[in-house]
Amino acid sequence: MAPALEVADVHKSFGGVRAVSGVSLSLERGRIHGLIGPNGSGKTTLFNCITGVERLDRGRILLDGEPIHGLQPYEIARRGVGRTFQMIRVFPELTALENLLVVTRGPRAAAEAHARELLAFVRLQDLAGEYAGNLSYGQQKLVEFVRMLMRDPSLVLLDEPAAGVNRTLLNELLDAVRRLRDAGKTVLLVEHDMKVVMGLCETVFVLDHGEKIAEGPPGVIQSDQRVIEAYFGR
Amino acid sequence: MRPAVLAALVLVLVALACYPAVGTGYGLRSVLQAFMWIALAGSWNLISGLTGYVSFGHVAFFGAGAYTAGILIASAGWSWPIATLAAGAAAGVLALAIGGPCLRLKGPYFAIAMLGLNEVLRALVSYFEGLTGGGNGLSMPTLDATVPIYYAMGVTALAVTFGARLIIGSRFGLRLMTIREDEVAAEAMGIPTFRHKLVAFLLSAIGPGIAGALTARDQGYIEPLSVFPLATTITMIVMTLFGGKGTVWGPVLGAVVLFVAQEMVWARYPYIHPLLFGAIIVAVVLAMPRGILGLLQLKYRLPRTV
Repeated sequence: MAPALEVADVHKSFGGVRAVSGVSLSLERGRIHGLIGPNGSGKTTLFNCITGVERLDRGRILLDGEPIHGLQPYEIARRGVGRTFQMIRVFPELTALENLLVVTRGPRAAAEAHARELLAFVRLQDLAGEYAGNLSYGQQKLVEFVRMLMRDPSLVLLDEPAAGVNRTLLNELLDAVRRLRDAGKTVLLVEHDMKVVMGLCETVFVLDHGEKIAEGPPGVIQSDQRVIEAYFGR
Repeated sequence: MRPAVLAALVLVLVALACYPAVGTGYGLRSVLQAFMWIALAGSWNLISGLTGYVSFGHVAFFGAGAYTAGILIASAGWSWPIATLAAGAAAGVLALAIGGPCLRLKGPYFAIAMLGLNEVLRALVSYFEGLTGGGNGLSMPTLDATVPIYYAMGVTALAVTFGARLIIGSRFGLRLMTIREDEVAAEAMGIPTFRHKLVAFLLSAIGPGIAGALTARDQGYIEPLSVFPLATTITMIVMTLFGGKGTVWGPVLGAVVLFVAQEMVWARYPYIHPLLFGAIIVAVVLAMPRGILGLLQLKYRLPRTV
């Protein structure tokens, strides 16, 4: 069976800056993967390449064995790739409920019921009619998270889910991520909080200067000489 | 919609329908113009109020409709109702052709491209004298059709408004708004934003095309400067911003209030009129960027279809 996602020799430059250069990685179905690296190491660019926001200079990206590079972002989303953003991107002048409703088709009542269910999943059911822009940072993060789930993605990409989130909320989010994994979804998350990465991920990839410098279970990664150098310098 | 509101609406519509039987020529022409502004502002709202793609050349569709109908009536001898429908279709085709490249532009670039489109159309119309009469303008055979045109313009305004209500109340409308809110996130949610923009742009062009055709027939004479004025685009923008962009009734409210104000000020102090309009733009942008209805909606949680 093909891996859930295969990134093969992906290159992406902006002018003279080689943001991602020759990265290959493969995600196993139903597991949580971490993507770490210092600032500017190419994590978000790689996310943008996978989701079609950036065009690849070279390389291939396969979802369940099918090439998706070159597709429009919406086509990739429709094939089952859901993502959240580093900076929250809810639709501020739409209500929380409408934020989730926009992607639905078919009978409206059923769609609303499904959306309310997901809002209840993160305990926002009472704020369904509130404009998303009026919600707190953490609540917006949750709206963005469940909005992504509306399409029932098979691959979930989370860009810094822990950033700016308090402990209680963070634990809820991490629980939710584990439940997604238990439901058979594949997860890839970018994260700076090492505790989160080490506690949650089963496989970790490390980027530095656009290249993959290490890959393995968190325990091994933590003691990898090159990773330590990348983070703390020689 | 609440019964009381519905009843009031029906009453207004009946009164407007009966008006030609009792109104003066000046009164009829004024209401006809108010209808035109409702159709124009409501149409602009569909693309710019909902998706946030500000069209600074929307009068191009008005002018294209006017010339399509004018040529079909004057040269091909078509009857004006058929020519009007053809003008609406022509404006739609123009929107598809222009929207293809232009809707891929972001923010101010789209606004400027649309401004350019209007100038290009005006130049083209002036250049192809054989067909359009060039700078000398185009005259249609005389015909007194003010009353039927009054009804046709009224139906156009009504159709644009109820079309907007259908769209804004639907998930298609919500998807258009996601483009305004955050286009990147919309794409990441699986929304084909380009296709949505194109459909909205197409719908927003038909009303002005028809309004242009009806205006051309009503006046019997058109020239490049009279049907492609930038001022008309600015007026429909100000009306929509004043009433509330992205709402159903905002453009209607803005069109009626500002048109009436304009008529009253225009008649007495012609020089103050542009000053007043400029002041309204500044006041709206500074004090209530959401417009009257947008403000009320935020304060009183009115349903989206207001």
